[in-house]
Amino acid sequence: MNSTTNMNTKSIKRKGGWKRYLIHLFPLPALAVYLLFIVYPLFSAFVYSLFDWDGLTRGAFIGIKNFIDLFTLEPFNHMFWNAFGHNWIYFVVEMVVQNGLAFLLAYIIYSKIKGTGFFKAAIFMPRLLSVIVVGFLWKLILNPNFGVLNKFLNLIGLEQWAKPWLGDTHTALISIILINCWFGIGFAMLIFLAGLQSIPSEVLEAARLEGAKGLKLISKIILPMMKQSITIITVFTFTQAFEAFELVYAMQGSEGGPAYSTDTLAVYFYRLAFGSANESEIGLGSALAVVLFIIIAGLSALFLRLMRRNDVEA
Amino acid sequence: MKKVVALFISLVFVFSLFLMGCSSDKNASKDNGKSSAKKVTITIGSWRTEDKAGYAKIINEFEAKNPGIHVEFKPSQNTEYDTILNTQLKGGSGPDIIQLRPYAPGMALAKAGYLEPLDGIKGLDQFPKLMLAAATGEDGKVYGVPLSVNSAQIFYNKDIFDKYKIKEPKTYDELIDIAKKLKKNGVTPFAFGTKDAWLLTMSHAIIGPAFYGSDFPEKVKSGQAKFTDPEFVESLKAMKDLTPYFPKNYTGLGEVDDRTLFATGQAAMYVEGSFDIEPVRQLNPDIKLGFFNMPSAKGGEPTITTWVDSSYGINAKSAHKEEAKKFIEFLTTKEFGKLFADTFNRISAVPGVGTKDPLVTALAEASEKYATPYFILTDFNDGNPTTKTVLTNDLQAMYLGKMTPEEVAKDVQKSADTWFKPAQ
Repeated sequence: MNSTTNMNTKSIKRKGGWKRYLIHLFPLPALAVYLLFIVYPLFSAFVYSLFDWDGLTRGAFIGIKNFIDLFTLEPFNHMFWNAFGHNWIYFVVEMVVQNGLAFLLAYIIYSKIKGTGFFKAAIFMPRLLSVIVVGFLWKLILNPNFGVLNKFLNLIGLEQWAKPWLGDTHTALISIILINCWFGIGFAMLIFLAGLQSIPSEVLEAARLEGAKGLKLISKIILPMMKQSITIITVFTFTQAFEAFELVYAMQGSEGGPAYSTDTLAVYFYRLAFGSANESEIGLGSALAVVLFIIIAGLSALFLRLMRRNDVEA
Repeated sequence: MKKVVALFISLVFVFSLFLMGCSSDKNASKDNGKSSAKKVTITIGSWRTEDKAGYAKIINEFEAKNPGIHVEFKPSQNTEYDTILNTQLKGGSGPDIIQLRPYAPGMALAKAGYLEPLDGIKGLDQFPKLMLAAATGEDGKVYGVPLSVNSAQIFYNKDIFDKYKIKEPKTYDELIDIAKKLKKNGVTPFAFGTKDAWLLTMSHAIIGPAFYGSDFPEKVKSGQAKFTDPEFVESLKAMKDLTPYFPKNYTGLGEVDDRTLFATGQAAMYVEGSFDIEPVRQLNPDIKLGFFNMPSAKGGEPTITTWVDSSYGINAKSAHKEEAKKFIEFLTTKEFGKLFADTFNRISAVPGVGTKDPLVTALAEASEKYATPYFILTDFNDGNPTTKTVLTNDLQAMYLGKMTPEEVAKDVQKSADTWFKPAQ
C-alpha cells in the first residue's frame, strides 16, 4: 500500500506536478466574490474618508481631516459619543437579558422537560421573522393610544404604566433593545443548547457523584465547559450590538429619535452619509464607517485573544 | 460517479451566484423595454405614499395618449425619502422622474449633477418666476416643473364645533378659549403629537406668525431681525404652552396617529397642510372639514402659511430621457393640472386651473389675501445641519422638556450665523 502511494506521488512530482496546482483554481470564484463585495467596498470607504466632499461631489484630498472633524466639530462629535454610548447599552442589556435568559431556557430544556421539541420551535419562532416586520409589528403594539400593550395595561388597572414607550426618551432605547432580545433569544438558546449537549455525560456523572448540585454544578462544571459557546455568543452579540441598525431604523427612522435617544453608530452613519441632499457628508460618513470597522474588528479580536489565553483545555 | 455529481452541483452553485450578481433592479426596466418590443417603462420617485391610487388614474390618462410609454409611480415613506433617493443616486440608479424637495435640498441634487436641466420644455414659461424659484438651481437653470402650492392652517371638525356652538376664532385668545371649552367637555382640542419632528416645524410656521407677524420673515432675510428677538421667542413659548390641549401621550404620537384621531372625531382641530385633506377624507369620507386662518395674538391680520410644495425633475442618468421629457411636458398642461387638482383636492401650480372642491377653493382664496411664507423652509434650509433641521430637532427637544424656548431661539440663530448673509 505504502509503496504504491509513494510511487504515485513520485510519478506526479516527476510529471511536473501541474495537476497539483489545479486545486488552487477552485477557491478563485469565492475569492472573486469576497474581493468584490467585501474588500473593495471596505477599501473604497477608506479612500473616500480621505477626501473632502461638497455634498455629493468629491473634492480635494485632505488626509485625516475628516476624522479630526468627526471628533471636533459639533454636532458631529456629540452625536458620535451619544450613539457610541447607546451601542454599549445595547451590548450590556443584550448580554444580560437575551443571553442570560437564553442560557436559562437552554438549561431547562436540556434537563429534559416534556415537550422540548415544541419549546425549541416556539422560542426560536421570532427569529424567523424579518427584522423590518418585527419592528413594524412592535411599533403597532407599543402605540400609546391605539396599541395592544397600553390597552392591556389600562384594562388591568396599571394606567400609570401605559406610557408613550417609543416617544419618551427614557423608555425608547430600552424598548427597542428588549424587542431585539425577544427577537434573538432563540438563536442564543440553540447555541447554548448545543454547547450543553456537547458536555460529556461522564464528567457530569462524576461531578454529581462528588455531590455537586444545582448552582455549584452550573458554575464549576457546566459553564467552564461551555466556554466555546459562550465565546461565540459574546462575540456575536457584540458585533450585533455595534452594528444595530434595522430595528432602530424600522421603528424610529434614520434620525434615531426622539431627540437622538435611540441613535446608534450605524444609524448615525446612514444619516451622515445619505441624509437629505444638502446635508449628506460622505467624507465624514466614510470616516465614521472606518472608525466603526476599527472598533468592531479591534474589540472582537481583542476579546477572542483574551478568551483563548484563558482556555482550560487544548 | 459521486465526484461528477459533486462537481456538477458546485458548478450550478457558482453559476447561479454569478447570475445573481449580474442581474439587478437597475436592468429590470431596461429588459422590460427590450423584451416587450415597443413599451418603455419609466419610474417616478416620490414621498407621497398617500397618493398611489390617485396617480394610477392620472397615469392611465397619460398612457392613453402615449401608447409606447408605461409609467410606474413608486413612492417611499416620506421621512425616509431623502436618504433612500440619495442612496440610489449615489449608486448610479434612481427613478427616471424624481420628485424634488422645494428650494435648497432639491437644488442640491442639481448642484451635484443628478438632474437634467429643463430648458426647452414646452409650457415651462407659463409658471410665475416666484414659483419656479423653488426649482431653480444656482446656475439659474430650471430643474423641475412645480407641482402644487401648499397652504398650512388649522382644520377643524365642523360637527364638533356645531355640537358645542363654537365659532371660528378671530383672536388668539379666542382660540385658547375654544381649546379650554373642548377640554372641559372631554374632547381633545388638538390632534397634535410630537414624535414626527418635521410636523413641529410646519406647525410653528402656522402658529408662529400670530406672534411674530407676517413681516418678520422679510425682516430676518434683510438682517433687521434675528431669531433671538422677543417676538420669535414668544412664538416658541406659545407652542409649548399649548401642551395642556394635546392628546394623552402626545410624545409618542406621529402624523398617522394625529390623522387617525382627527378623522375619527376624537380630536377637534388639526394643524396640518392642505396635502392632508384627501388622506383624512380617505379615513373618514363623511367628515365635515372646515378651516380658519391663524388669528393674530397682537391684533394684526390673520395669516395662512403657503409655499411651493415640490416639483418633478428628470434624472440626469435616466436611460429613457425622451420618454421622461414627454411626461414632464404633460405635467405643464392644464389637463394635468385639472386632473391633479380634482384627484387630490389640492391647488395645482399650473396657472388658471380651478378646483371643484369648495374647501380647496376657499383655501386658495385665503392664500391670496393672507399668505405668509413658510420661511424656514424657503429661505433657511441651508447650512449643515440646516437651520431648518436645527429648529426641527430643537422643537422636539423643547416638547420633551430638554430645552427652553430661549435656548431653542439661541440655537437657531447660532446655526443661521454659520452660513446666512442678509440680502443687502
